[in-house]
Amino acid sequence: MKRVAAALLIALALASPAAAHKLKVFATVEGQAVRGYAFFIGGGRPNGSPWIAKDAAGKVVASGTTDAEGRFAFALPAAATTDLTVTVDTQEAHVASATLAASRLAGASSTAPPAPAPADGAADAGGDEARLAALIGAAVQKEIEPLMERLEAMDARLRFTDMLSGVFLIIGLAGIGLWARGLRR
Amino acid sequence: MAHIADGLLSVPVLLCGAGMAAAGVGLGLRRLDDRLIPRAGILAAAVFVGSLVSIPVGPSSVHVLMSGAMGLMLGIATFPAVLVILSLQALLFGFGGLTTLGVNTVNIALPGVVFAMLLGPAIRRAGHATTRAALAGLVGALSVAGTGGLVALSLALSSSDYAPVASVIIATYVPLMIGEAFVTATIVSFLARVHPDALRPVTS
Repeated sequence: MKRVAAALLIALALASPAAAHKLKVFATVEGQAVRGYAFFIGGGRPNGSPWIAKDAAGKVVASGTTDAEGRFAFALPAAATTDLTVTVDTQEAHVASATLAASRLAGASSTAPPAPAPADGAADAGGDEARLAALIGAAVQKEIEPLMERLEAMDARLRFTDMLSGVFLIIGLAGIGLWARGLRR
Repeated sequence: MAHIADGLLSVPVLLCGAGMAAAGVGLGLRRLDDRLIPRAGILAAAVFVGSLVSIPVGPSSVHVLMSGAMGLMLGIATFPAVLVILSLQALLFGFGGLTTLGVNTVNIALPGVVFAMLLGPAIRRAGHATTRAALAGLVGALSVAGTGGLVALSLALSSSDYAPVASVIIATYVPLMIGEAFVTATIVSFLARVHPDALRPVTS
């Protein structure tokens, strides 16, 4: 028993707290397109898995299969006014989805189509402003994307303390079992 | 993989799984004695940690299940151990789900218990180390195959949109079967050498 316990402790110390088993989907809006990828917590991307994008009413907006890196991308429909949900299904009981809030989509579709520029100067300035806003929007999106990816990964990170508490909870349960049997005698 | 998440199964499948798991856990708890309680605790802790390490395979990622080894060492008491492991994984890390706890417990524990019951006597009697390792590997591989079959069955019975595809299941479970066979064979050979009593869940 002592040897098994020692082996367990060694395994516990070696087990990287970053490895695990759950599918997650990361999606982001970029200009007129939505792109993202599915990943397993702790490494691995599902390749060749079907994905499907639906709006809040359940209407299918786009679908396809992920590439070798687990990525997907599709053009944002002009009429996207509700939340969009992208679901990835590995076809062996791993299903995950990510929802893009309507506010993020609305921002993209209102700034991106360039306003028709009439001849007079005032409207031209307005067009410039719209283009500038679109550029700023794109730049900000580019800057915060790694942060959002990081958040998504940290959200689902395996924590060493959680692992330890699980192990000690099991030991505690075994102790309670032994104690309860001792009482009965 | 083997942990089916919430919202994929229909209510009858969930209830059936919960009922079977409750029966298995009840039988297992009655079997737990002073000899088996520490063993179940140590094994549950080891499997809990071991199954957190997953390896990407094809379109999915897999991790060891160890249900065959648990079946050989704990017998029917595998059920409560698996239930504890799955509850902790669901509560601490969000793997699987709370409503599917029963189904997942049956899917993982049942094949291990059944194949260990069938091949266990031969493993304990085996005179030759190679025979023993081969039989133990067989228990490990068959348990994984059984789990894969039960996972596919529970999804198919729920007639959900996420019915598994046979080719994908085979692509992910066959490598795992091979890996699991080696792990189980190693554990059983080691135990048979240093502590043969560990392979007997019931004192005879």
